[in-house]
Amino acid sequence: MASRQITQEQQPWLLENGDPKRLTKEARHGHGRSRTAHGMSATSLRKKSDHALVSRVRCASLRNVLVNIQEVILGTKLSILFPAIPAAIIAHYLGLGESWVFILSLLGLTPLAERVSFLTEQIAVYTGPTVGGLLNATCGNITEVIIAIFALQSNQIAVVKYSLLGSILSNLLLVLGTSLLCGGIANIGDEQKYDRRQADMNSLMLLLALLCHLLPLLFTYTAASPELTAEPSLYLSRAASIVMLGAYFVYLIFQLWTHRQLFEAEEEGEGEGENNSAEEEAVIGFWSAFAWLAGMTVFIALLSEYVVDTIQDASDSWGLSVSFLSIILLPIVGNAAEHAGAIIFAFKNKLDITLGVALGSATQIAMFAVPLCVLVAWIMGVKMDLNFNLLETGSLALAIIVTGFTLQDGTSHYMKGLVLLLCYLVIGACFFVQRTPLNPNDVPNNITLKSFTDSVLSA
Amino acid sequence: MGSQNYDHHHEYEACVLENGGNIKGILTKEISMKHGRTAHNMSSSSLRMKSDIILVSKVHYGIIRNLLDNFQEVILGTKLSILFPAIPFAILAQCYGFARPWVFALSLLGLIPLAERVSFLTEQITYYTGPTVGGLLNATCGNATELIIAIFALSNNKIAVVKYSLLGSILSNLLLVLGTSLLCGGIANIRAEQKYDRRQSDMNLLMLLMAFLCHLLPMLFQYGGASMAFDADSSLQFSRAASIVMVIAYFAYLIFQLWTHRQLFEAQDEDDEENDSEEAVIGFGSGFAWLVIMTVFIAILSEYVVDTIEDASDSWGLSVSFLSIIMLPIVGNAAEHAGAIIFAFKNKLDITLGVALGSATQIGMFVVPLCVIVSWILGIKMDLNFHLLETGSLAMAIITTGFTLQDGTSHYLKGLILLLLYIVIGACFFVQRTPSDHADIANIMLHSATDANFRA
Repeated sequence: MASRQITQEQQPWLLENGDPKRLTKEARHGHGRSRTAHGMSATSLRKKSDHALVSRVRCASLRNVLVNIQEVILGTKLSILFPAIPAAIIAHYLGLGESWVFILSLLGLTPLAERVSFLTEQIAVYTGPTVGGLLNATCGNITEVIIAIFALQSNQIAVVKYSLLGSILSNLLLVLGTSLLCGGIANIGDEQKYDRRQADMNSLMLLLALLCHLLPLLFTYTAASPELTAEPSLYLSRAASIVMLGAYFVYLIFQLWTHRQLFEAEEEGEGEGENNSAEEEAVIGFWSAFAWLAGMTVFIALLSEYVVDTIQDASDSWGLSVSFLSIILLPIVGNAAEHAGAIIFAFKNKLDITLGVALGSATQIAMFAVPLCVLVAWIMGVKMDLNFNLLETGSLALAIIVTGFTLQDGTSHYMKGLVLLLCYLVIGACFFVQRTPLNPNDVPNNITLKSFTDSVLSA
Repeated sequence: MGSQNYDHHHEYEACVLENGGNIKGILTKEISMKHGRTAHNMSSSSLRMKSDIILVSKVHYGIIRNLLDNFQEVILGTKLSILFPAIPFAILAQCYGFARPWVFALSLLGLIPLAERVSFLTEQITYYTGPTVGGLLNATCGNATELIIAIFALSNNKIAVVKYSLLGSILSNLLLVLGTSLLCGGIANIRAEQKYDRRQSDMNLLMLLMAFLCHLLPMLFQYGGASMAFDADSSLQFSRAASIVMVIAYFAYLIFQLWTHRQLFEAQDEDDEENDSEEAVIGFGSGFAWLVIMTVFIAILSEYVVDTIEDASDSWGLSVSFLSIIMLPIVGNAAEHAGAIIFAFKNKLDITLGVALGSATQIGMFVVPLCVIVSWILGIKMDLNFHLLETGSLAMAIITTGFTLQDGTSHYLKGLILLLLYIVIGACFFVQRTPSDHADIANIMLHSATDANFRA
C-alpha cells in the first residue's frame, strides 16, 4: 500500500482505474494506435480504485456488478461531486430556490462530462482506433451539445450561442492560457517545444469558423434595416453550416487517416518503461459501457434542462447577466475535465497533448457543435443563425488571432500563457459589466427601428 | 504528321508544351526563369499548345506564308482558342440587338482567351526588351483585362462595379486560385512533402495587409465621424493620398522584386529538361501590333460587359455584386488559374504561390490605386471605401491566407479550407439582395431620419 501511495504521488497522471494489470493510456501512443489527445487528457483525472472492499462480497454476479459500479462511479477524482446530482433533483422537486437548482446542476454536470469521455474511451477499446477516433470526435463535447439542444427547445437561442461561443473562448484562452502559464513556470529552464503544424491546422479551421460568423454579422449592417437582411442572413447561416460540417468531416479524414502522424504526439523516450510493454484492456464490458453511457446521457439531459430553465432566475437573483453566466460559467463546467488534463500535461512539458486538447476541443465546438445546432434548429423550425453580434464576434476574432500568433514559433514560455489568460479575463470582465437583456439583438434593433418607423410615419 | 509521337508528349508534358512555329523555337518556358521572368507569366504558358506548321508551309508566297504563320501563332497558340468564336458572336449579338444577357455571357467567354493572349504577347515583347523592362511590362500589363474593365466601368460611372470586380479579383486569386491549387496539389502529392519558400509569400502578404489598411481606414471614417457629408469629402481626400502611397509602395516592391532581391522571387532551377535559350516566336513589331489589336478587342468586350451587367443581373436574378465579385474575376483569372493548378500538380508550389499572390498584390497595390487616380483625373469621386461586408471578406481572406502560408509546407486540407472560405463568401454575395450602391441607401435613410427628427 505504501509503495502504491508513492507512485501515486510521483505520477498521478499515470494512474488508471482498474486492477494493477491495467495500463496507462499514454502507453498506447507508443504502439501506434491512434487516440486523439483529447481523450488522453481526460485520463489524468482518473484514480485507481481499490478492490479490497468489493472482493469481500461472495456472490460472483453481485460482485461483478459492484466492481462495474465502482469503476464507473468512483473512477474519477471528481466523483465527490456526484452527490450534487440527486441534490439538484431533490431541490427541483422540493421547490428550493431556482438559483440553488442552477448551481447544483452545474456541479453535477462536471463529473458527468468527465465520465462520458471515459465511457467513450472504453467503447473505443472494443471498436478499434478509427471508429473510436470518430466517436471521440463526435462525443467529445456531448455536454455542450446537449445543453445547447435543450436551450434550443426552450427557444433560448441567445443561451445556445453564448454557451457555445464561451466554450470556444474558454478552450482557446482559459484552458490554453493556464496550461501554458503553469507549464512555463514549471519548466522555466527547459525548452518547451511542440509541433506547430497541428496548431496551424486548428487555427485555420477556427478562422474558417470565424468567417462563417463574421459574414452574417456584417450582413445586418449592410442594408438599411435589419429586417431586410434577416431572411438572407438565415439562408447564409444554413449554407455556411453545411460547409462547416463538410470541412469538419474532411478534417476528420485528415486527422484519422491521411495525415495521422501530425496529430499523434511523439512517443515518450524516457521513463515508464515497465508500463509500455503490455496492451490495454477495457475495464468494463462493451454493453455495460453502452448502458452506462445511455444512463449518463439521460442525467446530463436532465441537469441540462434544469440549467437552461433556471439560468434566467439565477441571473436575476445573483445580479449577473445571462450572457456572463452562459459565456463564462457554463463552459468552465463543461470543460473542467479537459482543463485539468491539459494543465497536467503542460506540467510534464508535453505541449503537443495540451494543444491537441485545447485546440481540438475548440475546433470541434466551432466546426461541429455550432453548425449542428444551426441544422437542428432548422429541423425544429427555430430560426437560429450564425450572427453572434458584434461584441461576441469581436472577442472570438481576437481570441482566434491571438492564439494563432501565439502558436506561430513552435515554442512556448509562461508569458504567452499569461497573455492568453489575461485576454480571457478582459473578455470575462467585458461580459460581466454588460447589462443587456436576454435577447440583445432583438431589443435595441426593434426599438430603434420602431421608433424610427414611427417617426417616419408620423412625418 | 507524327501525331502519335506528339500526343505522347502531350500527355506527359502538357504543361511544358509551347507554341512555336519553327521547331527550333519550341522550348520550355520554365527554363526562362533564369532570364528574370516572374512566376506570373510562366504559369500562363501551361495553356499553350504546339501549333502545326505543316498546313501553312504548303502556301507558296513568302509574305503570305509569314503572315499566316504569325496569325496561327497568335490565334491558335492556346488551348483556349476554341473560345475565340465567342468574340464575333458577342459583337454580332450586340449589333443585331440580341438579348442583353447573351451579349454579357458571350463577351465574358470572349475575354478569356484574350486575357491569356495578352500575357503571351507581353512575354514575346519581353524577349526584345530584356528581362528588366520585361518584368516591368509584366508587372503593369499582367492584369490588363481587369484594368480595362475597371476603366470602362469608371467612365460609365459604375463605381460599384469597379470596386466589386477588383475586390473579387483579389479574393479569387487568394482563395479560389490558391485554394484549388493547394487542394489539387495536396491530393496529387499526398505522400510527398510539399515545400515552398515562405519569404516570397510573406512579402506579398505584407503588401496585401497594407492594401487592406488603406481600404479599412476610409470605411472606418464613415463610422467614426460626426456627419456623413463631411466624412465623404475627407474620406475621398484620404483615399487619393493612400492611393499615391500604394503606388509608391508598388514601385518599391518592383525594385525589390526585379533588382535588389531577385533571388527570392525566382523559383529553383529545374535540373531536368532542355536547357537551351529561348527565342521569340513572332517579331517585335508584329507582337506590338497584335497587342494593340487585342487591347482594342478587350476594350470592346469590356464595354459590352459593363453595359449589359445590370440587364444580365435582372434577367438571371443574380445581384450585380455577385456577378462582379464572383463571375468577372473567374473569367479574368482563368488562364492564371489553370497554370497555378498545373504547377501545383507538379509540386512546384513556389510558382503557384508566385502566380496567385503576385496577381493579388498587383491588383491590390497597383490596379486599385490606379483606378482611384484615373477617376480623380476623370473627375469621378471614387474612394477606397469598399463597405463593410466586402472589407470584412477581404480581411478574412488576407489573414487566413497569411496563416495558411506561415510554415512553408502545404497539404490538401489547407487548400480545401481556402476554397471553402471562397464558397462561403460567394454564398454571402449570392444571397445578398441589396442594390449596387448601399451608400446611396444609407444616405437616403440618413436624410429621411434627420428630416423626421427636424420635424418632430
